[in-house]
Amino acid sequence: MPSTLESLVCSLVPKARNDVVLRQELTEHCQEILRQNVDPDIGHLADVIKRHLLQSSPNGVTTLRFTNLLSRLLDQPVLSRKHASLSFLHSLAVSPKPPSTPSAFLPSLAPPPPPRHSAYSNPSTPADPSPPAKAQKGKSKAEILREYRRKTGHPHLSEHLILRDTLYLLQGISGKYVHFSPSTDPNGNNELIFTDDPRYLIPNPTKALIHRLAEVGHLYMRVDAFVQEREGKGGVGMIEQSLCHHLQTQLTEYYRLIAVLESQMSTTNTGTDATDPDDVNVREEETGLTLKRLDVWIEDWRLRMRMMSVCVEGARGAHGGALVNLIHGYADNGDPFVRKFTDQLLEEVSKPFFSTLHKWLFSGELNDPFSEFFVAVDPELAHLQYVQPGGHDGSGALANDSGFGGFGGDAEDLSAEREGGLKLWESKHQFRKEMLPAFVGEVFGRKIFSTGKSLNFIRYTCQDSDWVATREKLSNTGGTLKYSDIAGLERSIDTAYQIASQRLFEVFFEKYKLLDHLQALKHYLLLGYGDFTDQLMETLSPSLTRPANTLYRHNLTATLESAIRSSNAQNDPPDVLRRLDARMMEYSHGEIGWDVFTLEYKVDSPIDTVLDPEAMIKYLKLFNHLWKIKRIENTLSNGWMRIAGGARTFLRVPDLDHEWHQIRIVMAEMIHFIRQIEAYCQLEVIECSWKALFEFVQKKEGDLDALIESHRVYLDRMVKKILLLSPKAGREENLLNQVRDVFTIILQFREATDDFYNYCLSEAARRDSEKDAERGLYTYAERATDRRYNPEAVHDILGRVREYGSSFSDRTQTIVQALQVHADLDCRFLAVRLSFSDFYRTRKEQQQRS
Amino acid sequence: MSSRESDRISSAQQTLDILHDISQLLNTQLDKETLATCVGMIESGVNPEALAAVIQELRRESQALNAPRNTNGR
Repeated sequence: MPSTLESLVCSLVPKARNDVVLRQELTEHCQEILRQNVDPDIGHLADVIKRHLLQSSPNGVTTLRFTNLLSRLLDQPVLSRKHASLSFLHSLAVSPKPPSTPSAFLPSLAPPPPPRHSAYSNPSTPADPSPPAKAQKGKSKAEILREYRRKTGHPHLSEHLILRDTLYLLQGISGKYVHFSPSTDPNGNNELIFTDDPRYLIPNPTKALIHRLAEVGHLYMRVDAFVQEREGKGGVGMIEQSLCHHLQTQLTEYYRLIAVLESQMSTTNTGTDATDPDDVNVREEETGLTLKRLDVWIEDWRLRMRMMSVCVEGARGAHGGALVNLIHGYADNGDPFVRKFTDQLLEEVSKPFFSTLHKWLFSGELNDPFSEFFVAVDPELAHLQYVQPGGHDGSGALANDSGFGGFGGDAEDLSAEREGGLKLWESKHQFRKEMLPAFVGEVFGRKIFSTGKSLNFIRYTCQDSDWVATREKLSNTGGTLKYSDIAGLERSIDTAYQIASQRLFEVFFEKYKLLDHLQALKHYLLLGYGDFTDQLMETLSPSLTRPANTLYRHNLTATLESAIRSSNAQNDPPDVLRRLDARMMEYSHGEIGWDVFTLEYKVDSPIDTVLDPEAMIKYLKLFNHLWKIKRIENTLSNGWMRIAGGARTFLRVPDLDHEWHQIRIVMAEMIHFIRQIEAYCQLEVIECSWKALFEFVQKKEGDLDALIESHRVYLDRMVKKILLLSPKAGREENLLNQVRDVFTIILQFREATDDFYNYCLSEAARRDSEKDAERGLYTYAERATDRRYNPEAVHDILGRVREYGSSFSDRTQTIVQALQVHADLDCRFLAVRLSFSDFYRTRKEQQQRS
Repeated sequence: MSSRESDRISSAQQTLDILHDISQLLNTQLDKETLATCVGMIESGVNPEALAAVIQELRRESQALNAPRNTNGR
């Protein structure tokens, strides 16, 4: 045994062959080592070896080969201690080669050189060869550096301490080594400060990592502060409240994550002995939490927190719908994560909005305590409701007596009430574009606005809440409105809009008979009833020629009533006739009845939404003009009848025949003029406009706004065309004034003609009496002597007649010229009508030639 | 008698070959002679792990002996 050992020593340590002392020493040393024992178990050993082989070459070829060899070895009868041999080989295999070049740069770290001459003084536990082997293999440069640092007294802060701090930071709490600086920034931005501790260093890469992680903590603080702040405050909008709720839910999720992370960290800490940082590191690498792992875990939340923080920032300035809008702005994002998050948020946040919308859309109620909806209600008008006039139920009482009796007070009442209708409709609810969520779209927003307004109007102004309530019930069966179902929303809006506007039309045209009123206005104020107008004018004209202050309203109304009775107007519904009234406008000194008389049509709520006071003023204006035209026409035709009839029978003054002829020519021209104007007004303006309005009404589409608008268009068109208004600013009424001048001239002409007629009449009588005298009959002796001076008087009269005639011609010519270049096509057609055979042009040419 | 002897020798040779293969698989860096010696020692009752320690010890020793000579020129 010693000899074999000796030979082994010789073969392995060639030097020992010559050196006897060395050889003996080594042999003894080896013998000592050999006095150890291990019990054999070949199966286990084979497993261990296999595992070892698998580690070194994972493809399994060597393992297979080893198994093969092992089985063959086991077959061999020679060896009695196969296990021992294998174990020997394995021991050698596990221990790798000693490093060929011991690291030179840190001698202190090199493995201690084995003491050559004191073999027993170094019991390097031969039974457990792994620790030194491991130390030799596993030491990376980083580890070496760390060890060096530890030795020099500036160790890095161990990671689990930093980790703990970081977890605190994630919750916005300052840690021991890292903390947030007290906020000095006005924006509340905190700075991250690392505690300077000479005993511990935090490496820069770790600092950067912590900075990344701390961002989440910082964002968390913001969001949390926002939620806390809103929680305690009153008067926070519902949309904001639901935003807070959503944020809070998200934060709870976040807390859950933190808790999981924390528990993971604590298990690693308790499982290891914290005194040895190396050990901790090794373990943490395998199972526990590291900063980098934390970073990965948090990554998702970083984005989410950023989104939330952005929302929170935006929420400070925005309110209600604008807030929804703001969030919706982020929904258009290519990143599916952001999109999904925003969608969720929107779904949550828009819920109160949609409940308000639902209420508004289906029942016309604005339930918006924090004024977040895009419809705002005017607080002054919110509770204004109408008390319907008593006679309105159509009971047929003609006399809502106060309408005829009380002069001043009643009118005031009416006008006060009238102010309300349109004003209520137009300004009770306001559309706030900035509050409209973008996903609804402005067109739909307008529709929603209009629908709700219509419903509200039906409910409160038209006193039709039953219908609205039924509708509301019906609508509740259909699904709810929500953000994710925009298409359904649009459908519901469309249906609701249609139903509401249809209903509004129904209410207006069937319950309140708007069409009847419009027709009545056309018939009475626009002189559509010819017989009524003639009748009225005939009975009124004697009294209207008197000064305005001698007229009394009761006379006028009585005349009006008799005119109605004696014309077809009596067949109109009493509700219409009840509203018709005659009155005088404010008059000043010197005006006569013609100037101040006017018909009036009274409307009340809710019709006055369409027929607002302004519109009524326009109607009165039109009536005034048309009434004047009618008067002129009447005057002229009366005069014409007188002249034409008289000339044939008793106006036999042969030397004045020529004058009469001239007068008839001028008068014919005047009649032509006035008839054309009248026909133009009635046919081309009133009837055409009426047709357009009627077509709109028949369609029954659109809402009340559209109805008001179309009526306004109808009225404006008539005003513009009948009054011949030109679009030129400042000279709108030039033509109208000219036409009015012409009217005056015609009246003056008629007066002069009357004078001439009277003269001729007396002259004819004188001549007759002269002739009678020749025959011996003295009939008008005294009178004849009275008229001696008449030849001068007739000159004077004829001068007036000619002057008026020629000035009429001139004026008409100017008017026709102006009309020919009028901006409005219909007005130009009037010019064509007036100067049909180029009458005025040829005359102008004649004038120019002469 | 001689045939049995030769059988024994050949089987011993085979065993040694197998062991050598295994030792090469395991990268023990033992040559055949050393291996034979070691196996013989193990057969005679030496603790194998201890023997491995011995081998390592010896290797280190030889290296330590070589190293100073290389650096110091001894």
